[in-house]
Amino acid sequence: MIRADSDIVLEVHGLRATVNDIEILKGIDLTVRRGEIHAIMGTNGSGKSTLAKVLAGHEAYRVTGGSVVFEGGNLLDLEPEARARAGVFLAFQYPIEIPGVANSHFLRLAYNTLRAQRGEEELDPLEFEDFVRDKMKLLEMNPDFLDRGVNEGFSGGEKKRNEILQMALLEPRLAILDETDSGLDIDALRIVTQGVNRLANRDNAIILVTHYQRMLNHIVPDYVHVMESGRIVKTGEKSLALELETRGYDWVSGERRAAAGV
Amino acid sequence: MGTVTVAGGYLESLLQGQPRPPSSPLAWFNQLRADAVERASALKVPTTRDEEWRFTDISPLLGLSFQPVSAGSALDAADVGRFHLKEAAIRLVFVDGVYAPALSRRPEKVGTGPVVANLSEAVVAHATMVKPHLARHARFQDDVFTAVNTAFMHDGALVFLPRGAAIRSPIHLLFIASQKAAASHPRCLVIAEAGSEAMVIEDYVTLQQEAYVNNAVTEIVLADHARIDHVRIQRDGIEAFHLGRCAVSLARESRYRSVAIALGARISRYNLDTLLAAEGAECTLDGLALITGRQLADTHTCIDHAMPHGTSRQSHKCIVDDTAHAVFNGKIMVRTGAQHTDSSQSSRNLLLGARARVDTKPQLEIFADDVKCAHGATVGQLDSEEVFYLKSRGLTETAARNLLTYAFGAEIIDRIPVASLKHRLERTVLDHTQRS
Amino acid sequence: MSAVLQNLVNQPYKHGFVTDIESDIAPKGLNEETIRLISAKKNEPEWLLAFRLGAYRKWLGMEEPKWSTVRYPEIDFQAISYYSAPKPRKKLNSMDEVDPELLRTFEKLGVPMHERAALAGVAVDVIFDSVSVATTYKQKLAEVGIIFCSISEAVHMHPDLVRQYLGTVVPVGDNYYAALNSAVFTDGTFCFIPKGVRCPMDLSTYFRINTEESGQFERTLIIAEEGASVSYLEGCTAPRFDTNQLHAAVVELVALNDADIKYSTVQNWYAGDENGVGGIYNFVTKRGLAKGVNSRISWTQVETGSAITWKYPSCVLLGENSVGEFYSVAVTNHHQQADTGTKMVHLGRNTRSTIVSKGISAGHSHNSYRGLVRVAPTAAGARNYSQCDSMLVGDACSANTFPYIQVRNHTAKVEHEASTSKIGEDQLFYFAQRGIGNEEAVSMIINGFCKDVFQQLPMEFAVEATKLLGFKLEGSVG
Repeated sequence: MIRADSDIVLEVHGLRATVNDIEILKGIDLTVRRGEIHAIMGTNGSGKSTLAKVLAGHEAYRVTGGSVVFEGGNLLDLEPEARARAGVFLAFQYPIEIPGVANSHFLRLAYNTLRAQRGEEELDPLEFEDFVRDKMKLLEMNPDFLDRGVNEGFSGGEKKRNEILQMALLEPRLAILDETDSGLDIDALRIVTQGVNRLANRDNAIILVTHYQRMLNHIVPDYVHVMESGRIVKTGEKSLALELETRGYDWVSGERRAAAGV
Repeated sequence: MGTVTVAGGYLESLLQGQPRPPSSPLAWFNQLRADAVERASALKVPTTRDEEWRFTDISPLLGLSFQPVSAGSALDAADVGRFHLKEAAIRLVFVDGVYAPALSRRPEKVGTGPVVANLSEAVVAHATMVKPHLARHARFQDDVFTAVNTAFMHDGALVFLPRGAAIRSPIHLLFIASQKAAASHPRCLVIAEAGSEAMVIEDYVTLQQEAYVNNAVTEIVLADHARIDHVRIQRDGIEAFHLGRCAVSLARESRYRSVAIALGARISRYNLDTLLAAEGAECTLDGLALITGRQLADTHTCIDHAMPHGTSRQSHKCIVDDTAHAVFNGKIMVRTGAQHTDSSQSSRNLLLGARARVDTKPQLEIFADDVKCAHGATVGQLDSEEVFYLKSRGLTETAARNLLTYAFGAEIIDRIPVASLKHRLERTVLDHTQRS
Repeated sequence: MSAVLQNLVNQPYKHGFVTDIESDIAPKGLNEETIRLISAKKNEPEWLLAFRLGAYRKWLGMEEPKWSTVRYPEIDFQAISYYSAPKPRKKLNSMDEVDPELLRTFEKLGVPMHERAALAGVAVDVIFDSVSVATTYKQKLAEVGIIFCSISEAVHMHPDLVRQYLGTVVPVGDNYYAALNSAVFTDGTFCFIPKGVRCPMDLSTYFRINTEESGQFERTLIIAEEGASVSYLEGCTAPRFDTNQLHAAVVELVALNDADIKYSTVQNWYAGDENGVGGIYNFVTKRGLAKGVNSRISWTQVETGSAITWKYPSCVLLGENSVGEFYSVAVTNHHQQADTGTKMVHLGRNTRSTIVSKGISAGHSHNSYRGLVRVAPTAAGARNYSQCDSMLVGDACSANTFPYIQVRNHTAKVEHEASTSKIGEDQLFYFAQRGIGNEEAVSMIINGFCKDVFQQLPMEFAVEATKLLGFKLEGSVG
């Protein structure tokens, strides 16, 4: 869905970040336009999940350089909740369990917070129930979900579906899916990716962070970026993911070393 | 309940009226014994007024007189053959606490290879390795029975695994009781250097059914990445007293797995203390007490998470028949700074006899916030739904109950990584369930 | 993150003021003369003086319990005044005769003392230091045969009832602080619900310590006869002093056949300052005897105050099919220490008990659950279920769980579960990423964590409890 003239949603320039004084991101450049789907791939420890968390504002990470402009404003100035309200959504790799807090209550609060932000009227529990049930059908979710504690005792697949349900409710401008495919069996992967495909449109953008190519069989990216040691070292089209799958990540590193004459 | 006067008298007779072990050529070893004698004299025999001994009344022990045995054993291989484990190529045998070289089978020490030997002799040759550990982990300062053991410290096993060494055969430490009124104080020390691996089986058996006392202390030290499997089978005689203590210290990324089974003794008490002293250490403690008649089996464990990223798993089960009494006290401590500790513990108890009794106290003491700890305890009968299910498949009530009881115990026994021992114990549980 | 949490859990204590009122305070110190003085001031019958003196002599031979995790400097029992009453103490005929300063005090605390202004359906007995100063709705309750008055009044008006039950559930020598209370108790509440009566309104007592050097030793006795039922609420506050005050209460409940007693507490004594200076030592013995067949005793407590809490509301389940319940939220912060839990003693056949305990520790505090489930050989078919969860906020506090399970009947079934959870960066980040701010997130997590207990509280108390925790309700309670 690439349209060269569409608006830029996210512009990352020279982004550096540390955790516990160890530099993980060493200068990331990334431009994401409306309607685009970007896949960020890389081995464990390449920094791809860190990039996701830094964009969402996790406070364990310290930004030490570069800039991030989201919809024309400085994203790094915003608190995590303000980023969420502005339309940045992170689907967690490990969604947090919150015992005792009903999922319905949590979802409604998140949704109403957003509506209040947009100056819209909040939905009461009954209105919300109707609204959320529709969205749940999309993800083939059992309505029992609503009465259980947030992610409490959910299977891996249920947790990931719950994440995408939240994405459906909050209608973000930029959705970052961090390893959403991990721990999913084939059926769950199909349901989750179908959900994402239906939510993708010409006004929003999606960044998929993943180690494996298999998610990209279901969600077709416009760009594939390969990360290594905190940098994006290669960018290409969908075919790059397939090449990575067959040739392995070592191939990219090898190619780079060759280019550098090492 | 023993009074202080009785207790004092008991210790006095223990410490003074009895033959002392021969002195060692090592001055520090003799000093350790002397310190222990002094400490034992200052301590009192615990009574049920002591929180740690609240449910275990050991006063019957105080009314009897026990003597350490000094002479070598007159047993021959035919007497003890039935206790052999076919998987164990290495076996140290102790009869009434005294090392029996003729009954033992041990590898010759080759160069800087592993050592499996009788402690009293090997300590001289390996003093530099032993000294930093002996009596450092199972401290006798606050424990009268450890102090007494240390005071009488002589024979026992020394297992030393140099860096990276892996002993494939299980090391079978067989403690045989043959005489009535004998007091044994076996002392074992296992030192596992970095990356080493071994399996140690402590096995307490008897050839006679009259009263005697086993007061055993074992120390196990694991260096980085070491792995020790520890199986402890207590099948002492039905009139025996068994006082056991094991102190384990785990270094970085090391792993200790223990299966402790208590079947015998009139009164038994086992204290198992594990200290996760460095990051990433891992321990698994499984226990089963299967008791009947008027037996009392008391297990006290402590898992001390002193450093971050430690993992511990514990499952302790008791099957209690007739008027027997099982006690479990399982403490899990997570110290300040031991973040990312992951610990779970379960205590499950099956009461079969109408007058059977269980006292269980799992306890959590947590001083760090980013941890995952859970414990659970259950006491009850067999699940009536499960019994019904089996009956609906044609089993008799008795057969159904036997099967379920067996399955309850077998879950722990299954974790013993030695097939012949496992089968033998499963047989015991089966006999037990069919008898009852 | 921690700053947000700290602000949330560090709500300033709102009840720390002192009422300027002239009090009649007994000289400090404890001996037989003190006890005779208290008894004389209250014009007590001879049997009660004998009860007190007997308890005092037992107490002299007892030692302070040292088995719990709480640590405090030795208490000088001779430095405490054992009697303090606002002057003048004349017999009040209506609420309008109560000292206006006192009325203002309780208004400030939100305690309804004027019947006309009261919360509909709650009768209140108000205890100020050592004495009961007012009881509302007495007349209305008397019409259905319910006795609701101060225990001092009950001693004079219903001596046979008091004598029949006092000390039967908590014997004078039960423990150190119970013995002390039995010797020196000054006032407290007495409730008697006669056969077949379901109490038409919630009964409640509000306790206020005002004097710096006085201890508070109240005694509560609630009796529900066959088929009777009552819901009783208790609230407590105290001014802010740099010294520690001792509060050693005894509560006894008796439920006969088919009777039902529900006892709820919101305990908010002064907890000391952020450095652990001052605060109440709350050493309380509460026990209910489910004496009759099918009787039920239910304790619900929200413990937020006190420098030290040492308290184990218990149920002795004697009657066949009787039921005991314990629902507890204990929150500690700064240098507070709580060692609290319950005892469920199963004596009768088919007795059942439920324990739900939620401990939240923050700051440098220590929070321990200690519970006993004992099944006697006579308690065939007994059942217990316990759930004890701890939540830690920050890494300088501790949470301990000490369940004692003692089973001597093979038909019994006992289950205990415990777990820990936390409010940490990851939890708050998850909420923030969904647009929910920290304050609201903490409130939701805490309320979710405590939900099972808050649901047990009567409506008004649930509201107060949540406010006390400093968190908004937002739908998760009720």
